[in-house]
Amino acid sequence: MSILVNKDTHVIVVGMTGREGANHTKAMREFGTQVVAGVTPGKGGQTHEGLPIYNSVAEAKANHPVDASIIFVPPAGAADAVLESAHAGVPLVILITEGVPTVDMMKAVQEVNRLNQESLSQGGKGVRLIGGNCPGLISSGECKIGIMPNSIYAEKGRIGLISRSGTLTYEAGKLLQLAGLGTSTTVGIGGDPVIGTTFADVLPLFEADPDTDAIVVIGEIGGADEEAAAEYIKNNMKKPVVAFISGRSAPAGKRMGHAGAIIMGNIGTPESKLAAFKDANVPVADTMPEIIELVKKVLNK
Amino acid sequence: MKLHEYQGKELLRQFGVNVQDGKVAYTPDEVRTIAREYGQPVVVKAQVHVGGRGKAGGVRFSPTIDKAHENAEKILGMDIKGLTVNKVLVTKAVDIDAGVEYYVGMIVDRNVQSFTLMASAEGGVEIEEVAAATPEKIIRHRVDPVTGLRPYEAREVAIKAGFKGNLNKIADMMVKMSKAALERDAVLVEINPLFIDADGTPLALDTKFEIDDNAMYRHKDLLSWRETEAEHPLEIEAAKYGFAYVKLDDGNVGVLGNGAGIVMTSLDVVNRAGAKPANFLDIGGGAKAEIVYNAVKLVSKDSDVKAIFINIFGGITRADEVAKGVIQALNEGILTKPVRMRIAGTAETEAKALLAEVNSPLIQMYPDMFQAAEAAAQDANNAGEKK
Repeated sequence: MSILVNKDTHVIVVGMTGREGANHTKAMREFGTQVVAGVTPGKGGQTHEGLPIYNSVAEAKANHPVDASIIFVPPAGAADAVLESAHAGVPLVILITEGVPTVDMMKAVQEVNRLNQESLSQGGKGVRLIGGNCPGLISSGECKIGIMPNSIYAEKGRIGLISRSGTLTYEAGKLLQLAGLGTSTTVGIGGDPVIGTTFADVLPLFEADPDTDAIVVIGEIGGADEEAAAEYIKNNMKKPVVAFISGRSAPAGKRMGHAGAIIMGNIGTPESKLAAFKDANVPVADTMPEIIELVKKVLNK
Repeated sequence: MKLHEYQGKELLRQFGVNVQDGKVAYTPDEVRTIAREYGQPVVVKAQVHVGGRGKAGGVRFSPTIDKAHENAEKILGMDIKGLTVNKVLVTKAVDIDAGVEYYVGMIVDRNVQSFTLMASAEGGVEIEEVAAATPEKIIRHRVDPVTGLRPYEAREVAIKAGFKGNLNKIADMMVKMSKAALERDAVLVEINPLFIDADGTPLALDTKFEIDDNAMYRHKDLLSWRETEAEHPLEIEAAKYGFAYVKLDDGNVGVLGNGAGIVMTSLDVVNRAGAKPANFLDIGGGAKAEIVYNAVKLVSKDSDVKAIFINIFGGITRADEVAKGVIQALNEGILTKPVRMRIAGTAETEAKALLAEVNSPLIQMYPDMFQAAEAAAQDANNAGEKK
C-alpha cells in the first residue's frame, strides 16, 4: 500500500510534447508509472513515443482510464490546465509549473475545492490538486507522478515524506534510503504561497496508511502551514512525526527563491514554527542527517 | 514589485478610489511650483522603497510655499536606510483633526488560499504595531478571488471595525481597492491612513502597493515603474541571468545550489559552521555548465565573498555539468576564491574525474554538505583574519 498513487494508477501528461513534458514522461515510464496518454491542444491525433496525444483532457479520458494528470504547461496557462483536468473529472491533478501568478492559483484552488465537495457529496472520488511549483509525488517502487530522480525511490520503505521543497525532498529521500528506512510515499506540496494541498491535508492519509510507520515533514520559512500541521498532529495523530525547517537563518522580508518563502512581519518566522512543533511534541531536526537519527528514535519508542 | 506611494495612488485612482491630490517633483523649485499651484498647505513626502520615511524626517508638513521649498531641500538627496531620495510627492495637506484616520488593506493569505481584507479603526500607524498590541482591533475577512469583495461584505467589515462616516462611500472604496488588488495582481495593498473627513467622505492619504512578480507579464504597462535603486547591483545582474539571487548583509561565504530549499539549508549550514552567507543563489533545476559558470562569475564579483560553497544534489542537475562550469571559471581566471563543494547524485563520478584532472587547490570536493560548508567557512574566516 501507499497513499494517493500506486502501481495501478493511470496517468495522463498535459503538455507531453513540450521539452519538460517529454523528458519527464520518459523518466516516469522508466520508473514504472502507467502513463496512458498525453494532452497537447492542437496536436490531437499524433503519437509521442507510442502514446496517443489528445486535444483535450476530456478526449483522453473518454478513451482511457485516467486516475491522475500531471501538468507541464507554462505559467500563463497553468491554472487553466488545472481547471480543465478538474472539470473533466480527473481525481488527482499535479501541477509542476513554477511561476504561476498567485491570483490565478487562488481562483483555481477555490474552484477545485468546490468541485471536490460536489464530487464527494455525489459519492464521487473528489478532486485533489497538488502543487504548483512542486516536484510531484511518488510511491516508492510503484508509481511516480513527478520529476524526482528515480533511483532514490526504487525500493519501498515505511516512512512517509511531505515537503515544500523539491531538492530537499530528494536529499531526505536519499538519506532515508541509505539508512535502510526508505520511503512509502513522498509528496512534494510545492513552494508557492497558494497551493492545492497542504501538510495538514496529507497527514491524515499517512495516519491511515498501514504501510507507513512514521512521517517526515520538511517545511521552510514563510506562511503558517507548519503551524497548521503541528496543530493537526497534536490533535489527531498517533503515528510519530519528525520535522525539519529550512531557511532558519534567512533575514525577514527577503524572498528566498520560493515565492512563499518569505517572513512577513511576524508571520512565517522559524521561531513560530519551532514553537508549534514543540507544542505538538514533534522533534525538529537541526540538520538533514539528524532527521534520520530522530526517525530512528521515534520508531524505537 | 514594490510600488512607490505615488504609483500605488495612481493605480488606485484608475480604479476610482478617492485619492489625495499630489504631484511628483525632482527639485525644490518644482516643489515650489506645485505648492503655489495648490495654494494651500502641502506635505512633502520622500519617495523611496523603504518603510519608516516619517520617522527618518522624510515626510514634512509645509504650511507655506517657502516652507515647502525649504523642506524639499532637506528631503531631496537625504539618505533613508541607505537609499538616496531623488524624488518627492507633494500632496495637499489635510486637517487631520477635522476627521478620523482608519486602515484598510488586502494581503495574500495562504491560510485562506485567497486575499484577506483587513480593516481597523486604528489608522495612521503601522498595522504590524496594531497587530502586535491590539490584534482584536483588526477585522479580517476572506475575499472571494473570483467575485472580489462585494459591497455588502465591505459594509459588514466597516461596521465591525467601528468605522464612522458615510458607510456606502467607505464600502465603495473598499470594493474598488479589492478590484485593484485582483486585477493588478497585488501581493499587498494598503490604504493607511484612510482619512474620513467631517462630511464622512473617505480619502486615501497614503498607500502601499506590491505586485506579484509572477504576474508582471500581464502588466507590461507598469514595467517602466520598476526601479532598481533599492536593489543590490549584483541582484540586478542576477536578474539578467534569470537567477533567484538575494544579496545578504555582513556575509563572507558565497552560496549557490540547485533548488530554493537546498540553498536555504545551505545558508543555515554556513551559519552553523561559524561563517555568514553573503548571498542566496538558486541556479534552478537541470542547470548546464554555462549557467554554473555564470553563477560562479556572479558570486566571485562580490567583494564580501572570501570563499564559495556550492551545494548540489543532482536529480535533474548533472554533477559533471556543475564541475565543467566551475572549471571553466577557473581556466578563464575568473575564479580566484576557494570553492568548496558537495555535489551528489547524477554523474557524481564523472564530476570527480573532471576535477581530479584539473587538480587545483582552489576547487575541493567533499562527501557531504557539512564538510564542504565547514571548509568554506574556515577559508572565508581565515581570509578575513589575514587582512
